[in-house]
Amino acid sequence: MVEPSLVLYGAPYERAVEVLEETLRETGARYALLIDRKGFVLAHKEALWAPKPPPLDTLATLVASNAAATQALAKLLGEACFQEEVHQGERMGLYVDEAGEHALLVLVFDETAPLGKVKLHGKRAAEALARIAEEALANPPRLALDTEYREGAEALLDDLLRN
Amino acid sequence: MSTINFANREINFKIVYYGPGLSGKTTNLKWIYSKVPEGRKGEMVSLATEDERTLFFDFLPLDIGEVKGFKTRFHLYTVPGQVFYNASRKLILRGVDGIVFVADSAPGRLRANAESMRNMRENLAEYGLTLNDVPIVIQVNKRDLPDALPVEMVRAVVDPEGRFPVLEAVATEGKGVFETLKEVSRLVLARVAGGS
Repeated sequence: MVEPSLVLYGAPYERAVEVLEETLRETGARYALLIDRKGFVLAHKEALWAPKPPPLDTLATLVASNAAATQALAKLLGEACFQEEVHQGERMGLYVDEAGEHALLVLVFDETAPLGKVKLHGKRAAEALARIAEEALANPPRLALDTEYREGAEALLDDLLRN
Repeated sequence: MSTINFANREINFKIVYYGPGLSGKTTNLKWIYSKVPEGRKGEMVSLATEDERTLFFDFLPLDIGEVKGFKTRFHLYTVPGQVFYNASRKLILRGVDGIVFVADSAPGRLRANAESMRNMRENLAEYGLTLNDVPIVIQVNKRDLPDALPVEMVRAVVDPEGRFPVLEAVATEGKGVFETLKEVSRLVLARVAGGS
């Protein structure tokens, strides 16, 4: 497959979580996520004071799709990429930056977090996460999926998808 | 390729419903959403135009439960079928683990089915993939049409070599919808975890 599977666990995962935690502290953002380009969550942290986040699956999917569309737009305009993306509403904002070729950093912040800080620390975090992602891609863990897993998953599917 | 999150012990698969415009891709997802119990599905997101035509994609996350300590999820997507939304279709195929090709049984849509399959092949090629690299299931939908074409005729234009499993469906009534999803899921699981 051309699309490599970005798997974070062990030490790289812990370091990614540390970066996300620090970014939350420095920026005052509510939620920080590292997602892959397919829209799956690789790691996330929430500020202790933050209310329950929106569904992360949905958030990650929409951000990844939006980023993919933005990248296609950049190419259309002759740019290699549009790196960061900021959306701001009346109360909530969203910061998205490329964490290397295969992942994205997502920060969700409210009106109490200064945008300048979000951008500054977001950029630093994205760079640190890019290095972690590259390292993880270079040393992929062995997948431990076997026929027992397959049979178990099929049984659950049968159970869930009963007419 | 599936995404595995060892830290959270999650395995995620991406299934894409492809096919010509109005063949019933969104209808498949809507049926699944309506029948899967709360707690096993996430919010269904539809990025559609005002007249309910898919603009970018529909998205439905399904949580099938825990297998060997891993929470297993299927993320279902549809692509916009209309010819001029090809840029969006291409983006949705990124990282796909399995494809349901929803073909239309209407006599006037034979060419659209063939065009859509050709388009899918081209878009997969952009990611360096061929039809052999991704598990594919053909769903021949709208079997309730009074003038529905024979399944073999539809198959002849989308899969002349008979390589992929074919299932009949009436997605508006849910007929064949779960069967199709189960079939493609089985193929995806077999690909990553041994088996056929």
